[in-house]
Amino acid sequence: MSVALQARVRAPGRRRRPGGGLTPWLFALPALLVYVIFLVYPALSSLWFSFTDWDGLSPDYTVVGLENYRALAADPVVATALRNNVLWTVVTLCVPVLLGLGLALALNGKARAKPILRLIFYTPAVLPLVSIASIWGWLYNPQYGAINEALRLVGLDFLAQPWLGQDSTALGAVMVPAVWLRAGFPMLLYLAALQGIPEELYEAATVDGASRVQQFWHVTMPGLRSAHAIVIALSLIDSFKVFDMVYAMTYGGPGTATQVMGTWMYANVFQYYQAGYGTAIAVVVTVAAVAVGIPYVLSQTREAR
Amino acid sequence: MSALHRRGFLGLSGAAALFAAGCTGSVGGGAGQPQAPSNTLRLFTYEGDETIDRFKGRIAEFDAEAGLTTTVDSLPGSGAAVYPDKLRTELLGGKGPDVWRIWGGEIGRPFVTAKQAADLAPYYDRLGWNDRIDGNAVAGMTFDGVKAGVPLNAAALGAFYNRELLQKAKIDSDPQSYAELEEFNEKLVAAGITPAGLGGKYGWHIMRLFEYLLEHTAGPELHDQLLTGAASWDTPEVVEAFTLFKKWQDSGWVPEGALGLDPSDIEPAFIQGKTAYTITGPWIESGQIAASGKSPDEFGTFVLPTDQDQLRFSGFVEGYMLNARSGNLENAAKLLDFLARPETQKALQNPGATVAGAEPDPKTHPMAAQWAEYRKEHAFYTIQDQAFPKKEADQYFTVQSDILQGSISPAQAAKRMQEIVSAWAKG
Repeated sequence: MSVALQARVRAPGRRRRPGGGLTPWLFALPALLVYVIFLVYPALSSLWFSFTDWDGLSPDYTVVGLENYRALAADPVVATALRNNVLWTVVTLCVPVLLGLGLALALNGKARAKPILRLIFYTPAVLPLVSIASIWGWLYNPQYGAINEALRLVGLDFLAQPWLGQDSTALGAVMVPAVWLRAGFPMLLYLAALQGIPEELYEAATVDGASRVQQFWHVTMPGLRSAHAIVIALSLIDSFKVFDMVYAMTYGGPGTATQVMGTWMYANVFQYYQAGYGTAIAVVVTVAAVAVGIPYVLSQTREAR
Repeated sequence: MSALHRRGFLGLSGAAALFAAGCTGSVGGGAGQPQAPSNTLRLFTYEGDETIDRFKGRIAEFDAEAGLTTTVDSLPGSGAAVYPDKLRTELLGGKGPDVWRIWGGEIGRPFVTAKQAADLAPYYDRLGWNDRIDGNAVAGMTFDGVKAGVPLNAAALGAFYNRELLQKAKIDSDPQSYAELEEFNEKLVAAGITPAGLGGKYGWHIMRLFEYLLEHTAGPELHDQLLTGAASWDTPEVVEAFTLFKKWQDSGWVPEGALGLDPSDIEPAFIQGKTAYTITGPWIESGQIAASGKSPDEFGTFVLPTDQDQLRFSGFVEGYMLNARSGNLENAAKLLDFLARPETQKALQNPGATVAGAEPDPKTHPMAAQWAEYRKEHAFYTIQDQAFPKKEADQYFTVQSDILQGSISPAQAAKRMQEIVSAWAKG
């Protein structure tokens, strides 16, 4: 194409604005409206109520400023819930991710049984959570549950515990099914990522005399970098928002031993008629989730460039 | 769109999504706006799976009679721990049901305080409910002078036992004193049988044991004062009750690890013969026992002995409220009027009917009939999860949990209860 022709093509009669003007926004508008109505508005509304003493039922309320946030600091259950959230996050982030990675590495091949094994390992992730909670509740039954029965059968009677009925074991006991059901998700993502690593890299490494361990650290792990970012960020956010498993298995008990921020927020908003205080807890959870989710948002933004 | 704009947009979207993910709930529902009238009604209840078909059958009769269409939704299973939350969410998130079933006392009160429940005084007068329904029960659903509910069930709680297991333990008579009840438990344990099938998840089930022990140690007058905050919990009677509560667990009179057990698992376990008895109400006869296919003759019941001059048992009322915003209040009141007929209550086999002329048939429901007689002879004390608001009840359940785990002493438990109740009574 000649220089003169290029100049004509780049200089049409109507100049397009950089960024496309309003057109992209018009395309985004329907989704944006749904987003604003169903997510942004309720979120801002919750933020507003966190500055009030609204009981969650009455039409009237009073603005109390930062009173709910001050009360948070003095609430001993918040301290328990926060500690439990941190513990939960660490365990249900690290263990399923490591398990998922291990399973993905083991299943990333061409052996016959592997599709079935993948299905088996992923199945817990698609089971209804309430069913999982019920199943594990029965497994943990101190008198008739399979776990204690198995321990007694092999002579480990002293290890049989009322797993969900004592402060010392209840949270850990709830974490086990959480790990079991969550290992399948990172396994799938890692499997997909593993299949994207060119075989030639392993062949070249083998030719260069690299051991299996060296290949893992210098070929596999760098190839999984983007998968790590997604798996860790999503698992982190998911872990921090924990509610359902705790609610279904222990209801926050015994006492308040397994309360997490999500269940304590729920108790205040929906059971104690302290919606203002409960939404203050929600805001704190949100701020924490945003803080830990920033790397994920940034990585997504970078990919969009 | 420039790269900068796209990045900004993605960044903002991501941040907003994360923000929204944590902040849930808003007012919604257009509080205070009445709904448009229609020929449909919606009733929300917690009827169990064993009795819901019977209930829906009566509602179908009402629909045929009144020319209306009534939808029945039920949330059985978790008792007062979850149902009020669901009801509240429905009322806030949309128009809510026209009619809902609810317990009296502090569980029903918030719906009246928030003016979600209609004042039913005009219907009481016009439809003659005052003459038909037990006045004491009506008082249990009257809040600060507002008749906000129609109580159709006055429940009483006692021990329901498995005859075969008692025979196995060579027990041939009901305990007449607290000491005899302890002997009763000892014999069961010696025979390898778990005595009282109670579960601590949610708190309210195992609470039935503690409140009985408190009635035994404190007596009627002090017990009532404790429940209203008029007397201090930091007393020897309360300490003794907590001491006995712990003793029940340490002696193996409740299931191992009772604190973590779900009532909806442990009550069926009693029916299956895994525990000798449970503390419940006569609804178990027309509910779980009937559903299991077992004969009521396989079971028996007695009032838990308190050793007090005035023998009382735990009890509560439950009934129905109408949605103050319903466009169908007249039709909803007609439905309540239908439910409050003796023949409807008989057909529903309600063992605690508050409506005269609906007493249970001793041939088909011997235990319910027995309890109908007990209710005539004895007063009841308010069940504790209706005596306290939910927040205080949960704090009390935490004390229960701590004492059973041995993390606090009975004396500390009594002190902590005093802090909880006095803070509530002052507030």
